[in-house]
Amino acid sequence: MKRLARSIAPHLVLVVFSAIIVLPLLWVVRVSLTDKLTAYKIPPEIGSIGSMNYSAIFTSYPFTTWFFNSLIVALITTMIALPLATALAYVFARWNTGGVALRLGVLASQMLPPIILVLPLFAMFLMAGLMQSRISLIIAHLTICLPFLSWMLVSFFEGDVARLEEAARVDGATRWQAFIKIAVPVAAPGLLAAGLLGFILSWNEFLFALVLSGPDTQTLPVGLAGLETHAGVEIAPLAAATVVSLLPVFLLLPFLRKHLIKGLSLGALK
Amino acid sequence: MIESAHALTLTDRRDRRFGWLMASPSLALLFLVILFPVFWAFYTSLHDYTLISPNFDTFTGSANFIKAAEDGQFRHSLWLTTFFVVAVVLLEFLLGFLVALALNKVERFKAIYYAILLCPLLMNPVIVGLIWRMFLHPNLGIVNYLLSVVGIAPVNWLGSTKIAIWTVIMVDIWHQVSFMIVLLLAGLSALPREPYEAARVDGASPLQCFWRITVPLMRPVIIVTLLIRLIFAVKTYDLIYIMTRGGPGISTDFISYFIYRTAFVSLNIGEASAMSIILLGIILALTVYLYRYMRSLT
Amino acid sequence: MITRRVLLGSALAIGFAFPAYAETLNVLMEGVPDTEFVKQVLPEFEAATGHKVNLEVVNYAEMHTKLVPQLVAPKGSYSVIVVDFYWVGEFTKAGWLQPLDDRIKADNVDTSVYIPALMDLVGKVDGVTYMLPFYNYAMGLTYRTDLLADPKNQEAFKAKYGMDLQPPKTWDEYLKQMEFFTRDGMHGVVNQGLRPDPIAMEWSNYLFANGAEYHDANWNPTFNNEKGVKAVQQYADAIDKYGPVGSASFSFDEAFNVMAQGKAYSYITYNFFRTAYDDPSKSSVVGKVEIMPVPGPTADTGGSLNGAWGWAIPKSSPNPDAAWEFIKWVESPEIAKKRALLGGSPTRTDVFEDPELNQKYPYAQALKSMLLTSHNFPVFTYTPQLVEVLGRELSLAVAGEKSAQDALTQIEKEFVDLAKKDGKLK
Repeated sequence: MKRLARSIAPHLVLVVFSAIIVLPLLWVVRVSLTDKLTAYKIPPEIGSIGSMNYSAIFTSYPFTTWFFNSLIVALITTMIALPLATALAYVFARWNTGGVALRLGVLASQMLPPIILVLPLFAMFLMAGLMQSRISLIIAHLTICLPFLSWMLVSFFEGDVARLEEAARVDGATRWQAFIKIAVPVAAPGLLAAGLLGFILSWNEFLFALVLSGPDTQTLPVGLAGLETHAGVEIAPLAAATVVSLLPVFLLLPFLRKHLIKGLSLGALK
Repeated sequence: MIESAHALTLTDRRDRRFGWLMASPSLALLFLVILFPVFWAFYTSLHDYTLISPNFDTFTGSANFIKAAEDGQFRHSLWLTTFFVVAVVLLEFLLGFLVALALNKVERFKAIYYAILLCPLLMNPVIVGLIWRMFLHPNLGIVNYLLSVVGIAPVNWLGSTKIAIWTVIMVDIWHQVSFMIVLLLAGLSALPREPYEAARVDGASPLQCFWRITVPLMRPVIIVTLLIRLIFAVKTYDLIYIMTRGGPGISTDFISYFIYRTAFVSLNIGEASAMSIILLGIILALTVYLYRYMRSLT
Repeated sequence: MITRRVLLGSALAIGFAFPAYAETLNVLMEGVPDTEFVKQVLPEFEAATGHKVNLEVVNYAEMHTKLVPQLVAPKGSYSVIVVDFYWVGEFTKAGWLQPLDDRIKADNVDTSVYIPALMDLVGKVDGVTYMLPFYNYAMGLTYRTDLLADPKNQEAFKAKYGMDLQPPKTWDEYLKQMEFFTRDGMHGVVNQGLRPDPIAMEWSNYLFANGAEYHDANWNPTFNNEKGVKAVQQYADAIDKYGPVGSASFSFDEAFNVMAQGKAYSYITYNFFRTAYDDPSKSSVVGKVEIMPVPGPTADTGGSLNGAWGWAIPKSSPNPDAAWEFIKWVESPEIAKKRALLGGSPTRTDVFEDPELNQKYPYAQALKSMLLTSHNFPVFTYTPQLVEVLGRELSLAVAGEKSAQDALTQIEKEFVDLAKKDGKLK
């Protein structure tokens, strides 16, 4: 009995929590299938149901452009940021490279409100001739991702894994091999979280994307914000766009299923 | 440091060189892209730099800092932001840790739970704000309607100076709590299994295991998670912009929105930079404290 | 050779010369209905000139943030921009816009066709023309005609107030209607109490309707008086007593929805919402809402706040000549009329007088008289900051955290500081 309770309790917590997340989203789905008039009807009515908002976001708005701009920028940012941040975190953890000062210095820039960094950053990209390009967005997003990801990953390289690496070094492994073959696998759960975090930071970043993008390089947040017009919020197409932009999460499911396992414990490496 | 440098062995020196080598791509990028803007912000804070006359002709020294410190509105929004940050970080941490622990225990449906909790994170704060404004419309929103069904009077979610900040906190939790879960779950799954096995042999209860093994081992991850979330929470801007614009009255006038207005509405970049640097100082001090605390435990 | 000269001559004769080569024009605009109408007529321009036009639409609230770095830069990305009247003082003071007078003179563009109040707001600054008025968003009183026409309401109103129920001729009459219609789950009014611009803009109508202005000819403040206090109290009453719960935090979208769901009698708002009431996908009161100028203290005055956007060429424009060609085209009588017929909000008197337009949109004359009786918000370098101050203090007053008098005193103090800083007030 007690064991059963113990195995059900986590699911209970998770079901309640998932419901809190999902119920508002279901309401968004409902709004996406109707018009603004029906969306605000109280008491709620079924009203007209249709896919007009879904066709609207692809015909009246360049949703596809926004979506792929966001996807490309976020993916490339993550692909660059993750290895760089892993390396940085590793040397922080292993040899305290640069000391506390460097560690804090790396993070300090992120403690300034981004609005203050906009003007000089803009000037730099203008001089480099990178205005309105995706490259400028990727670089800007990297400067946000790198500090956070590296801070986050440091703790995954601390602790007992250092001793394992030393043992491997005694057995003739190079520093690089010790890093790749021992430290990285142990930190795998951290890397998954860091990768997701990097993607999310870039995917949602608004201010730099607003200032640095042009008509062809607008990202999803910038484009969708345009649905809040001076003449009201186009809430129904906005809901449709939100739903479509969330669908890729479920494409991730097989990947998550594979990688969301418990990390390799140290015992497995011995 | 200097004395110990002499004592370095050959391996130590090679280690250090290898460390710098691995760090160099990241550092080069940050150096190239971030150093100038940060320096620019410092330099600007010492000048009378406005958008109307964007130049460094008038050096004002600490004048911008003194003006900011004497500004009651600025201090008010600092205080308000502190309240908000403490509230969201703590509440999200408690809720997030609970869910992360549960998620770490289950095998079935784990990926589905995880995918669900990722959803809010992939929504931009602007969208989250707009959608919750719709839900929370006092007369035409679904939330007050559902409350009315169970006999609760309509709540003035965003129009009351007492309630608005809690509404923003609530929406922020809905949006960001998964951030904590993702990080904490990563920490939990990277924990070594041996101490638990040893504890089980000693007959420790699950609660004892949690307090004696999980919490101490997780402490570095927890502190870094809190720190990162804290830095983001201080910068909360879009949500406030969409949901309240600092109102009603001045009840949700957070620091990022305040600095934004100083820079791009009052056009006073110099003063806004000074405020930012005061903010930077506060967060940095807090970070150093947390960092020291974290080190002192290991 | 001769054919070329003839061709060139005829091109000049019809008013514009073809450019040496086709250019790409980047135009930054805000997402409003009028932007959509520009988009619809754009192909004509591209066909006539060979230029390519990239219309970039961004969220209004973030547009200023996006523009500022572009305007500070020596060479930016945008050929043409649209400027809200809020920003006119700032942009001209900072020297970010190109004066248009030489171009206007060279091409004989007639600016006298624009409604003078609009030219003052988004055209000329201190005698120099920087912009051509693009569209206006003067605020008006939108109200439910069906409720006014209901004989039961008419009878009850007459019995209670001793006057006829009709579109209000004066502000006091409107306030009575506001009170009258607040019953049986209906609200007499819905307000947009969100800070800073929704509340500041809406309250300005209350101020003008009480017969006050923001400042006199010498920029001395003229709102911290009995009329101003009344305006604040009436506004707070509208929200607390006659409006739905929560309107202290409504943006125009929320307020519009209350009206569109048929839950309020009236809403003072931007004129472009008039068309939205007739959109059955947004509104349940199609054909039941009309717009009129906000009534003033007397029957022959108005209390509407004027508002408008203007076309401008930034100093940092990469191709100012082509930009001017575009502005000239989009503001030509023919295209201006076309845009108005699509539903746009006119700025030119000749368009307002157009028979076709009046036939299609019977309320066009109401919009025109709204403009003619409207009042301008103070336009100076610190307009946005004044809006912020108003937003903060009015919001505090509505929330009951400050008295109307204290709020006005604080606004006056900060207004004087800003006007002095700008050199307007000596």
